[in-house]
Amino acid sequence: MNKKIAYNSAVVKIISIICFVVVWQLLVMFNNKAQFMNPTFLPGPIQVVKTIVSYLQNGTFFPNIAASLVRVLKGYAAGIVIAIILGYFMAKSKLLNDILDPILGFFGSIPPYAFCPLFIIWFGIGENSKIFLIGYTTLLPMIGYVVQGVRSVDPLLIRSAKSLGASEMQVFTRVLVPSALPYILNGMKVCLGLTFSALIVAEMMGANEGLGYIIVNARNWFLVSDMFMSLVLIAALYTAMKQLIVFAESKLTSWQKSGMDAIEK
Amino acid sequence: MAYLKIDVKDIHKHYEDPSRGRSKKDAAETRYVLNDLNLEIYNHEFICLLGHSGCGKSTLLNLIAGYIKPDKGSILLDGGTKTVTGPAADRAVVFQEHALFPWYTVEENIAFGPKVMKKRKEEIEQIVDKYISMIGLEEYRKAYPSQLSGGMKQRVGIARAFANNAGILLMDEPFSALDEFTRSTMQQELLKIWGADKNVTIVFITHSIEEAVLLADRVIVMAEGKIVSDEHITMDRQERNSSNPEYLAEVEKFRVMLQETNI
Repeated sequence: MNKKIAYNSAVVKIISIICFVVVWQLLVMFNNKAQFMNPTFLPGPIQVVKTIVSYLQNGTFFPNIAASLVRVLKGYAAGIVIAIILGYFMAKSKLLNDILDPILGFFGSIPPYAFCPLFIIWFGIGENSKIFLIGYTTLLPMIGYVVQGVRSVDPLLIRSAKSLGASEMQVFTRVLVPSALPYILNGMKVCLGLTFSALIVAEMMGANEGLGYIIVNARNWFLVSDMFMSLVLIAALYTAMKQLIVFAESKLTSWQKSGMDAIEK
Repeated sequence: MAYLKIDVKDIHKHYEDPSRGRSKKDAAETRYVLNDLNLEIYNHEFICLLGHSGCGKSTLLNLIAGYIKPDKGSILLDGGTKTVTGPAADRAVVFQEHALFPWYTVEENIAFGPKVMKKRKEEIEQIVDKYISMIGLEEYRKAYPSQLSGGMKQRVGIARAFANNAGILLMDEPFSALDEFTRSTMQQELLKIWGADKNVTIVFITHSIEEAVLLADRVIVMAEGKIVSDEHITMDRQERNSSNPEYLAEVEKFRVMLQETNI
């Protein structure tokens, strides 16, 4: 029998992050001495914090985050909502599915970022082309999750709801939505990564604020510490949004039993 | 008031054979699951359907429930005043595989029917309390179906069907997954509920001859899509137990009948 070591997983996670930051700082200090690389190209956490403070002081910190956040929220929301509507009808109608499937398959095979210059020509260099790219990038993979979710509904549950007197609308809200929800939330988590990559690509292609813009702008001036700050902020923004979905998931699908608890260790 | 509760008239039903690409019109090749079936069920009857797998008894139940549509014929309800066009709350169904909503707790599952029927809150609570205590799952009110054993789930499924107070109860082998003790309790509960309400008619599918003879007023034996026997059981229900030779003789009679239909 192997003994289980009792520990608090939150504590372990925090220690892990602290260790990472410390090791990073030590590596930077070592590099400063040994000069493996030009020290300006490898800033440490202390340098990044200093950069954040300078952005805060000149008032550009929050506007840059806000610009990216608004873009990502608009694009993501549009992509998810359209995917839910389209996916629902595709799962309901075999004809619609047969019509759209090859077209979506064709577009799905093209990396969405390849459309970026095209979207700029069509929708201009402003916000519209960026939001369109983000929404489009989210939409295509999301449809699959919605279709799968709607199709996952057990026909026996629809029968029993109908026999209990449920109307079409009640079958939709009380049977279809809860059946599809775990699939949709999972899809939202997976697609969020793509959404963020679309955000950064869009902002690199032509913007004058936002986290992606900071990175390209910093490259022109060798402001590696600014790049690092932007990367950290992207990670923070992504994590916050993902945690929000995870939280919603835990609230909305708490009835699900995890297969990982099947055998006690 | 022995009026005609369910009137099954000239029902034909076949399923497409997916293994063969034959068209529907090829009548010579069409195999009917139900072939010109007629059945009159009166108010407050307790009917048990017996038969081998594939004899069409589940198909008949699904037709009455309104889940599937007959090729020919019709099913009338309440003395011919209504026609079955689809599932509705006047025909409650208990499924073999409980079919509980996994995202609802025990009490939410039982409250589903009264809730969609827009009953008052206090009334719903009353109904839920009544049926939860009937199935003896008070401690599990807030549990989700995934946290219950198979027998418990089946009991919730039965309570959920009862909670709608439907005039017709359609039950597809509801007790086959239960242990003997629970089955016996549920059988007695079912008889009690049925006995207390003179407007409840039950159609009950079972594989167990003993169960059929124990519960039914009328046992209908089906084979190959047809009714081969339709008999009333007149014995008093209190006297139906395995130590009564009359009961055993009745069971034996149906056993022989089922063996003969097993071609």
